[in-house]
Amino acid sequence: MCLDDQILNTYLDGELEEPFRSQVEEHMSYCSACRDRYKKLKNLKLMVEASVISDSEIETRKANVLRMIENTCFSKKKPSFFKRQLRINLPAFATVAAAFVFVFVGSIVYINRETNQFIPPNVENTIDENNVNLVNSKTVKTIDDYSLEEILDSLDKRGYTVDLKIKGVAPVTFE
Amino acid sequence: MELRSSDEAAFRQVYDQVFPVIMKVAFHVTYNLDVSEDICQDAFIRFFDKNMVFETMDDAKFWLIRVTKNLAINQIKRKARETASIEKLKQVTPTSSYKDGASQLLFQESTESVRKAVAQLSEKYKTVIVLKEYAGLDYKQISKILNISESNVKVRVHRARKELEVLLGREDA
Ligand SMILES: [Zn+2]
Repeated sequence: MCLDDQILNTYLDGELEEPFRSQVEEHMSYCSACRDRYKKLKNLKLMVEASVISDSEIETRKANVLRMIENTCFSKKKPSFFKRQLRINLPAFATVAAAFVFVFVGSIVYINRETNQFIPPNVENTIDENNVNLVNSKTVKTIDDYSLEEILDSLDKRGYTVDLKIKGVAPVTFE
Repeated sequence: MELRSSDEAAFRQVYDQVFPVIMKVAFHVTYNLDVSEDICQDAFIRFFDKNMVFETMDDAKFWLIRVTKNLAINQIKRKARETASIEKLKQVTPTSSYKDGASQLLFQESTESVRKAVAQLSEKYKTVIVLKEYAGLDYKQISKILNISESNVKVRVHRARKELEVLLGREDA
């Protein structure tokens, strides 16, 4: 009697116990039909295994998550300035046309820990006549003149822990 | 060797060994890298917060796999509800991730069709295939994680492969 797929799969996974194991091997030594079927099942298993997520993608995500955990679970050394997760879930149909990434940064307050003063990077912090300018002629930089990157960089240099999470939603592809 | 999950040194040890496994589980259930990253983060933060003691590395690993599996299954269920109007096939985008260095068209094609087929399996079969083929667990370990008997695992693995064969065969035709 020939071997069924259930037995061949169990054998393939190395989980078939004696004496069945030897019986399977003996049968396959003379039955080419079962040998062929076994080969097919083995190829299927190899093909599935080969479709595994790549090591490099795992490593990237591993580093991302560890950074996040170090900040939320282990970090007692650096003062955490703002720790906020911004996540916008788009309905699936909105992702068809393009992937949208919204970044909203509101009410960022800069406080110098030593002096308790507001300290936007290189921004003068007093407001008087000298400081009031027409928008198109102003020479003094305000917070609006800085890119998000520069603001984060400035905070980072001052020793704050900054977590900024921007989530993009991958577009759905239609083939 | 005892492991306390909130102890930083122990945590790092577990993280280093177990992260790749749970990332594989999360990815091959959801087929979305960003979602998988969130799920893994969630699982490890729960692990840390619970301050549990595990007798062995394997116990910690199984705990994390179980939590990850549940989070991933919940995520696809939620997503299925949200996108009920869109055809099932189209919500899967298994295109972003390929094995290192393998850029041959043929290989990519088979990777993509396998992933699509896995995504189409019912929850019951998908879970055992992911734990078996991607997480590399044996029947006994899977039975512990899923709380079912070993012979039940054996049958599910067999039926899942049968279904995969049908799904993949249909695509060739
Ligand atoms: Zn035979």
